[in-house]
Amino acid sequence: MDRPVIRSAAFVACLLAFPGAGLAHQLVVFASVDCETLTVEAKFANGKVAKQGDVRVLDGDNALLTTLPLEENGTAQLPLSSVDHSGGLVVEVDTGGHDDFWIITPEDIARNCGS
Amino acid sequence: MIPSKLTRLLLAALLMMATSIMAHAQDRPRIVAVNYPLKYFAERLAGDSADVIFPVPEGVDPSFWRPSISDVSMIQSADLVLLNGAGFAAWIDRVSLPRSRLVNTTARLEDLFIVTESITHSHGDGGEHSHEGLASYTWLDPTIAAQQAEAIANALVQRGLVTREAIEPRLASLQTELVALDDGLKAALESVRDVPFIATHPRYHYFARRYGLSISYLDWEAGAMPTQEQLATLSAMSEKTGARGLIWEAQPPQSAVEAVAELGFTSAVLPPYATVPASAEDLLDALEEAAKTLALAAQ
Repeated sequence: MDRPVIRSAAFVACLLAFPGAGLAHQLVVFASVDCETLTVEAKFANGKVAKQGDVRVLDGDNALLTTLPLEENGTAQLPLSSVDHSGGLVVEVDTGGHDDFWIITPEDIARNCGS
Repeated sequence: MIPSKLTRLLLAALLMMATSIMAHAQDRPRIVAVNYPLKYFAERLAGDSADVIFPVPEGVDPSFWRPSISDVSMIQSADLVLLNGAGFAAWIDRVSLPRSRLVNTTARLEDLFIVTESITHSHGDGGEHSHEGLASYTWLDPTIAAQQAEAIANALVQRGLVTREAIEPRLASLQTELVALDDGLKAALESVRDVPFIATHPRYHYFARRYGLSISYLDWEAGAMPTQEQLATLSAMSEKTGARGLIWEAQPPQSAVEAVAELGFTSAVLPPYATVPASAEDLLDALEEAAKTLALAAQ
């Protein structure tokens, strides 16, 4: 199974993890890394894409590394080399009314980088 | 002072013993539980076969705990991660966890789940709306807790952490105690079956269903002094439901007890025990005691 398919399956699993998803619009954030890129995806639990929002990337000490906007398709990408990711990353998305986060450990990064 | 030969020998022996104990402790399988009841059940069932860790710091609500990266790393490396299911512990859906080592203790109990509706609010152009969810405090129904304990026992055996022979008597003992707790709660709460209550936080859905209680819910901060607006909401809810008993999930300040007493309410504290009790009480004893307090408050 290639990485995009794995990523899609994981994101669908996240959406399914929220009970009553069809009746609510809780924000669901998923972030993944390969060796080069951090990819962030944000959707509401009813399946609609979050078209606007701020993505904050923090390090293991909760220090802000960078902020970037969500694209129209509800995603954001960041070159991994642009931030110190040695201690893992915390990704927070804030759409103004809802917010959510995803935590990436150093082990996640090592695993997804094939090491 | 130069230590004698005997002292040096004793010190060396002690050092070797300590090293051996530490190595043994490090070698033991590690089980992570997302709430105190699951930790309690796992400790009873695993005995000395594993270390059971409840990673949420004292005073933090495990429903809303946000782990650090190092917490998640530790959890990812555990031999078993015990989940409550029913939407308990939001953080579990915000990290990558090793699927083969996850145990959802209510995976086969979804038919028993209670759907709730959270507070209505509005923002942006979405208009007023509310978010539905599931009541999460499943263990407050001891019959569900017993099934969660059984799921843990099965997982411990399947993962080879405890033998079937070793775990069966422990599970039987725990389940016997849960049946006794259920009987005790039934008896203690029989007299308040038709008495309406208000609770400061939506924690008791499974407890209320099991014992036929009628509980309406507020959403106050645990153990805090309510605002004037919150007290007004309490009064309005009381007029609607006829409730005169107020259930707090944590001990409130005396000024809060007095404020609601002026509105005609009797207070009772019923901790849901998602987190480790402040005193070294046994989970099952503590629950029975709290329910008796509740019954007394309604009289």
